[in-house]
Amino acid sequence: MALVVTPEAPVVPLPEAPGGAPRRRRPRGLRGLTPYVLMVPALAALALALGYPLVRQVALSFQDFGLEQQFGAPAEQVGLDNYRALLADSYLWTLVFRTVAFCLVNAGLTLVIGLAIALLLRSMSRSVRLMVQSALLLAWAMPVISAVTVWEWLFDSQYGVVNWLLTRLGGDYQGHSWLIDPLSFFLVATLVVVWMSVPFVAFTLHAALLGVADDVVEAAEVDGAGAWQRLRHVLLPGIRPVLLVVALLQIVWDLRVFTQIYKLQGAGGVTRETNLLGTYIYRSGISEGEFGTAATAAIFMLALTVVLTAPYVVRMLREERES
Amino acid sequence: MRTSHTRSLRRSLAGISTAALVVLSLAACGSDDGDGEGGEADGGPATADIRVWLNGADTPQAARDYLKTEFEKENPGSTLTIEEQQWEGLVERLTTTLSSKTETPDVVEIGNTQAATFAAAGAFSDLSDQLDELGGDDLLPGFVDAGSYEGKTYAVPYYAGGKYVFYRKDLFDKAGLAVPTTTQEFVDAAATLKEDNPKPANFSGFWFPGQDWRNAVTFVWNAGGEIATEDGGSWSGQLETAESQEGLQQVQDLMQQASGAAKDGNETDPQIPFCAGEVGMMSAPGWVNGLIEDAEAGCPELADKIGVFALPGSDGQPAPVLLGGSNIAVAKNSPNQDLADEAVAIMLSDGYQTILAENGLTPARTSLADLLGDDQFATATIAAASNAKLTPAAPGWAKVEGARILEDLFVEIANGGDVAELAKEADDAMEEQLNS
Repeated sequence: MALVVTPEAPVVPLPEAPGGAPRRRRPRGLRGLTPYVLMVPALAALALALGYPLVRQVALSFQDFGLEQQFGAPAEQVGLDNYRALLADSYLWTLVFRTVAFCLVNAGLTLVIGLAIALLLRSMSRSVRLMVQSALLLAWAMPVISAVTVWEWLFDSQYGVVNWLLTRLGGDYQGHSWLIDPLSFFLVATLVVVWMSVPFVAFTLHAALLGVADDVVEAAEVDGAGAWQRLRHVLLPGIRPVLLVVALLQIVWDLRVFTQIYKLQGAGGVTRETNLLGTYIYRSGISEGEFGTAATAAIFMLALTVVLTAPYVVRMLREERES
Repeated sequence: MRTSHTRSLRRSLAGISTAALVVLSLAACGSDDGDGEGGEADGGPATADIRVWLNGADTPQAARDYLKTEFEKENPGSTLTIEEQQWEGLVERLTTTLSSKTETPDVVEIGNTQAATFAAAGAFSDLSDQLDELGGDDLLPGFVDAGSYEGKTYAVPYYAGGKYVFYRKDLFDKAGLAVPTTTQEFVDAAATLKEDNPKPANFSGFWFPGQDWRNAVTFVWNAGGEIATEDGGSWSGQLETAESQEGLQQVQDLMQQASGAAKDGNETDPQIPFCAGEVGMMSAPGWVNGLIEDAEAGCPELADKIGVFALPGSDGQPAPVLLGGSNIAVAKNSPNQDLADEAVAIMLSDGYQTILAENGLTPARTSLADLLGDDQFATATIAAASNAKLTPAAPGWAKVEGARILEDLFVEIANGGDVAELAKEADDAMEEQLNS
């Protein structure tokens, strides 16, 4: 809004146009348009980057689109067939449950650990804080594929340092496969995902905590509030809007997690039992050449994302209106 | 995918300059561009940079150099770039790049079991009219079939290679073992080796990681089973049959009792455990020997302790192994069809195929098979190939590989799952992919 500057200078009367009404200022309509004109580039970019794929995807979900169509054969319109087949497939519902559970556990863990680190950062000395922040930044900056490869090596069943260490400590972990059991597979995946997302949450919440005035916290302390009470009644309400946004982003990110799972599946584990919606869509589309089915599953996932995040969005909008 | 960004930039620049060249040459030729060069419209420009995708470390460096030099000598002004791809995830990469007119490589190597799917989908140019020039009846017949669809040939053979067994002669001597002559003797030898070498704990009498379905199907075939068969246009999985299950059971025994490999590991880089002294026997492609002899990647000090033999079947003849290998094809979306054909011709030429043969790969042309030599590796290669089989000739087979159905099956078998139940599940999953 700051972009729309209203000229406050005194309006100089213009000489009367011959045979017309006196024109004192530019027509209102044009000025009202300015904000919209300024929005056009952003909207065009959005329409191109998001709108086109979305439209194409919806169209695909109503087609029988396979590998032949990918190379130019005409696609057959099949109406709702893809949707019917997908919803009747019990595997989809297993995937939905698995994906939502994975998302909630990961988003929850990331938020809790991120918040804990943000709080710790407050009470660290300057030099220690710098060190911790650099470490966090490095984890955040590491490319996903490199990070997952390193984790893969750490947990390698034959030559991994984790097994070596646990065996040294007296456990029976010689040749133990961490990926073959789905639960243990997701444990490793959770480690990788949480490890990579904590820095963002920690930094954002740390910045938000800096915005809570110190004297309010001190006043609470003087009034006898303990550490837990200060957190619950002073700090958390102070960073609530930021916390909501971060939680929302985290849920969206963890719902569509792909790279970490896909890469780990190549290293071990049973693909069918470790697929999440993201890898299932990729596999049925790109690997198996069933683009129609994949597009339908993707639409389904979009709906799932909307359902899961709607409460947050509604809450955020309400709070924005109230403030 | 390392340099996809710079590559696409370079590609688009190359595209622009190629387009500019085409416009210029059209303008210069005017209307009397009747005969002479000809075919510019569909054959592509006279000079270009040809991109060739080769997979993994299979193709020896000498062959790569030969291809580049010969091509650039025969086509002055054009260049040839070899881009090495990983076998892992190749189907996905081909699906996405081959369909893009701007990103597609011009010539691609594709696994022989994957070729049919892409040929049927229309991803490759028809090479039928060049088939005679490229070798005709001399070409490996099973591989021509694998690259053909509805009577036309889209992907020609590149090389073949059945796997054979590498074993440690010193460990055999120590355990008092002789080279096995039947499947049962082989299984027993694997168990004996494992018992005989308690250290390291992950020692393998026979190295058999869980994802290695390409070796595992040998035992299914050897027991008289099949993977999938066609009847009246519809495919049905055959892993549930009693014969197949017998083979699967044998795989489970080997994986659980004789192998120290990861139960869910894959079979890439077998030279690593071998060089670490953790392997008594392993079934691997011939070119792995080159990796073992390599001073940097391998362990030349173990090289003279290596013996090889073709895996014996239950009747004492070589067991039916999966005939691995590759086909070579020209991308239909490539703007440089004529130049791509030139590159394919070089890859099937005597000179190029000789280099492949000298490096232990069975050449695409059967008349050159003698070039393999007569050492123990060549003898094992020829013996293994004598009874080799291919995966089901279904247009949808690459989808079965894409869905990792057999990888999943054997990982669960390695992990001690119920063979009958798992075989049934895998049959259902295969039928879903093959019949859709």
